[in-house]
Amino acid sequence: MKRIIFQALLLIALFFCTWFLLQQNDWMKTFKVEETSNKLEQKLGDLFWDIIKKSKKENTNPFLVKSIDSMVSKICKANQIDRSQIKVHVLESDDINAFALPNGHLVINSGLIVATQNQEALCGVIGHEIAHIELSHIMKKLIKEIGLSALITISTSGGDSEIIKEVLKKLTASAYDRTLEKEADLKAVEYLKNADISAEPFANFLYEIALRQGDEPKYLTWINTHPDTKERAAYIIEKSKEYRVINKPVLTPPSWKKLKAILQE
Amino acid sequence: MIQVSKFTYEPGEHEAEKASNSYLMSLIAVVAGLPLPIINLIATFFFYIGNRKGTYFVRWHCTQALLSQFSLLFINSYGFWWTISILFTSETISSKYIAYMLTIILFNLSEFIATIYTAIQTRKGKHVVWWFYGSLTNLICRP
Repeated sequence: MKRIIFQALLLIALFFCTWFLLQQNDWMKTFKVEETSNKLEQKLGDLFWDIIKKSKKENTNPFLVKSIDSMVSKICKANQIDRSQIKVHVLESDDINAFALPNGHLVINSGLIVATQNQEALCGVIGHEIAHIELSHIMKKLIKEIGLSALITISTSGGDSEIIKEVLKKLTASAYDRTLEKEADLKAVEYLKNADISAEPFANFLYEIALRQGDEPKYLTWINTHPDTKERAAYIIEKSKEYRVINKPVLTPPSWKKLKAILQE
Repeated sequence: MIQVSKFTYEPGEHEAEKASNSYLMSLIAVVAGLPLPIINLIATFFFYIGNRKGTYFVRWHCTQALLSQFSLLFINSYGFWWTISILFTSETISSKYIAYMLTIILFNLSEFIATIYTAIQTRKGKHVVWWFYGSLTNLICRP
């Protein structure tokens, strides 16, 4: 009996040793897994952005682009994020919405910029979307909801345009799961802290917008797609209390006013 | 790992064929059941049930074939559900996962080769005893 137990243990050990030894090689590199998934993400990102570009107008006002760019750059620089990977777009739309697409596309609707009372709140939303990009939430969500094989089919064959639109809807008008949203919120607070931007206005923005939920719902997409807004605002405030931040605004007050004026036109 | 030894008696032609079939059964099941590892075990189990009243030589080899499927069932099932979670959940491919899949390929391949060899030898009436599984079979299967 002892011999059998010894042989069984040896067999189990042989299995785990083989597994352990094989783990010593970086198979992701050998099989170019990351390269392939990056290519998939790139193709999907470009495909989705092309569809959005066709249906909505991008605001390319130089002052607006420069202002938003300086906010994104400040957050990226303070958090060692490769700025060149984030492609910022401002869409002309009344919807209060911002979303991230695969391959680092960060889309902000002009309606959201208009709705924010101050630039810190806007930086909070930007930080939240950058966190989704940096934490690979977009591909995780797509793989979970659409499936890897369907995504590969869409990216290689182009797929049915109606199907692509439905998939795109999942990114622009539906929430990530609660864990991912919380993770992105807390990461955004961290990003803001490192960039010397107070997170409190971001939480206040969530409170304000939650109170506007009686408004025309289509204008409140971001809030409808991010449930439990009050709860989110509460934990953002709680997290921000852990840090002492001396707020250094990215834009000067006149620049911020000018930015809002451009969009309100 | 595999040893050809003398059985307690000389098995007849019919017995050798039946015993050899138990390994062939697990081989066919391996091929058919690759996507769902439990199929291998179920197939071998039914063959075992069908022959549990057979001669000692047949019973012994049916038992060894069945037992050898058990360990594969666990490691293959783990790999199967890991793959499913990668395809349908937020789980991602990692070096650890690829290493695991390569390990189970190695173990399945070894078992596959051993099974073919044993099926051929058993068909000739030779008594093939596997390392660990043979001892375990001796413990379970009595004349």
